Amino acid sequence: MLLEGRDVTVAFGAFRAVDGASVGVREGEVLGLIGPNGAGKSTFFNCLTGDLTPTQGSVHFAGQDVTRLPPEDRAALGIARSFQVPLTFEGMSVLDNVMIGAFLRTAHTGEARERAGAVIERVGLAPFAHASARSLGTPGRKRLEIARALATEPKVLLLDEAMAGLTPTEVRQAIALVRAIHQSGITLVIVEHIMEVIVTLAERVVVFNQGREIANGTPAEVTSEPQVIEAYLGKRAARAMRRGA
Amino acid sequence: MGLLRRFLWPAIWLLVLLAFPLVWDTPFQQRLGTLVLLYAIAASAWNIVGGYAGQVSVGHVVFFGCGAYGALATYTHLGLPPIAGLPLGVAASVAIAAVVGVPTLRLSGHYFSMATIAVAELVRLVVANTEFLGAAVGLSGPTVPRSVLDLSFTSSLPYYYLFLAVLAGTLALTWRMENSRMGYYLRAIKDSERAARSLGAAASRYKMRAYLLSAALTAVAGSMYAIMIGFIDPESGLGILISVKILIMAALGGTGTLFGPLVGAAILVPLEEISNNVFGGGGAGLTFVVYGAVIMLLARFQPGGLLELLGRLRARAAGRGARRAA
Ligand SMILES: Nc1ncnc2c1ncn2[C@@H]1O[C@H](COP(=O)(O)OP(=O)(O)O)[C@@H](O)[C@H]1O
Ligand SMILES: [Mg+2]
Repeated sequence: MLLEGRDVTVAFGAFRAVDGASVGVREGEVLGLIGPNGAGKSTFFNCLTGDLTPTQGSVHFAGQDVTRLPPEDRAALGIARSFQVPLTFEGMSVLDNVMIGAFLRTAHTGEARERAGAVIERVGLAPFAHASARSLGTPGRKRLEIARALATEPKVLLLDEAMAGLTPTEVRQAIALVRAIHQSGITLVIVEHIMEVIVTLAERVVVFNQGREIANGTPAEVTSEPQVIEAYLGKRAARAMRRGA
Repeated sequence: MGLLRRFLWPAIWLLVLLAFPLVWDTPFQQRLGTLVLLYAIAASAWNIVGGYAGQVSVGHVVFFGCGAYGALATYTHLGLPPIAGLPLGVAASVAIAAVVGVPTLRLSGHYFSMATIAVAELVRLVVANTEFLGAAVGLSGPTVPRSVLDLSFTSSLPYYYLFLAVLAGTLALTWRMENSRMGYYLRAIKDSERAARSLGAAASRYKMRAYLLSAALTAVAGSMYAIMIGFIDPESGLGILISVKILIMAALGGTGTLFGPLVGAAILVPLEEISNNVFGGGGAGLTFVVYGAVIMLLARFQPGGLLELLGRLRARAAGRGARRAA
């Protein structure tokens, strides 16, 4: 496993948002993480990136225990992320936003600008390079977050609902971008609650519900599991589907 | 046009600053110019941590005091020229900044601000009760200069050019920082610390660096002050009003901008000196009123400071011009 959470539990007071989850992604893989709202996907995700320290359990990256490592040190190791609610640097231009990522691998301003420019080109934000991040809409912001993360030259990229709130056309464009990123050799963990996105992109899917992993397999396997249908559609719908089958 | 923008205006401003005390050459005017530069140094130093790093220090006078006391204690106890105490003051400043910064810079900004006030007041009380540092009476510099190294002059003119050089150095350092990785990181951290850290910017380490640099340069300003005035006591070297002054000058001109603090100092120092002159002892009270008013106006209308306001007006004028041309 390249990046892995082992027996991760995150408790907010008495409430366990993540309850003993063990999920890992292999090098070169696209891992999908799905589950209904509030299932604990983002919380688990934040343990992988270092934004949260698990109450119990551990996180490992390339054989190293990174459980207590802060996010900036994990970024240096090659872990990059996007945020469910975009956190672009609003007061800066698109180019400057991406330069912040590029500065992880070079201390030289000119070099960072050059590398950021190349990444912006690659994700299709070139026409907006000098616009302020504030002027972008949701799709632009999500794309900018991906560009910024790519500029850190990561080994694994974690995307938290990068397609939420996009129109079908924008989703198609975003899927093409994520595919291209994967083809460039970057391991991916994508969190989505849109089933269609996961089905088209992920090789392996882990389904979360109430903080626990309830299924794990190829997209086709997990979508036919009764537990998954139940978690998504509720018990009555699941029973009706079973009766119908 | 680009060339004009790039070189002509800076050259004009430099010329104005160089010529100022020769054109406005009464002792009062020369002293005013000198004080503007002194406070511009202090406010520019504050700006590095308060503006660029967004960590509002309200106790910056403690570093000013370190520089001032470093200079005059070195003269009093070692008989050396006051300027020889500058490194001592800088070292003490950096040490205090490290002690305050390490535990508080990783917390939210409010804890940092409160800790800086507490430490400044604590140091003032300790100094006021330390015989070695002159206690409540204070320390004096050389009454008659023994050599030019004592930097003791009756005219303000030499100080004016000394301070101008120090200010130029401070601004050059700030400009370099602004355009380096550190400057980019600080802007990002100020905008979203969480996002900046996810991209590899070690937020508390960079805030700490800004704080140390700022503390060191503020100590330089303190040394300059003590060398010029030749006297320091707990009120003039460590009083809370100095912290507030420095902060308001930077805020008025525009925090996080290169020249904002200089603009703020150029407005507030003359205002204070003139009101002190006109109203005598009552002027101090008026100074408080002016600062209070500036704080309220800034909070209400222009959190970005005067330079931002100017930029906005210019953009609007340019827009109008473009529309007329179209
Ligand atoms: N900081 C927090 N404090 C308390 N509860 C939280 C916190 N963060 C998340 N939760 C709760 O944990 C659960 C899981 O949240 P989250 O991981 O965001 O779910 P998902 O991303 O799967 O929609 C939710 O019930 C949410 O309300
Ligand atoms: Mg979520």
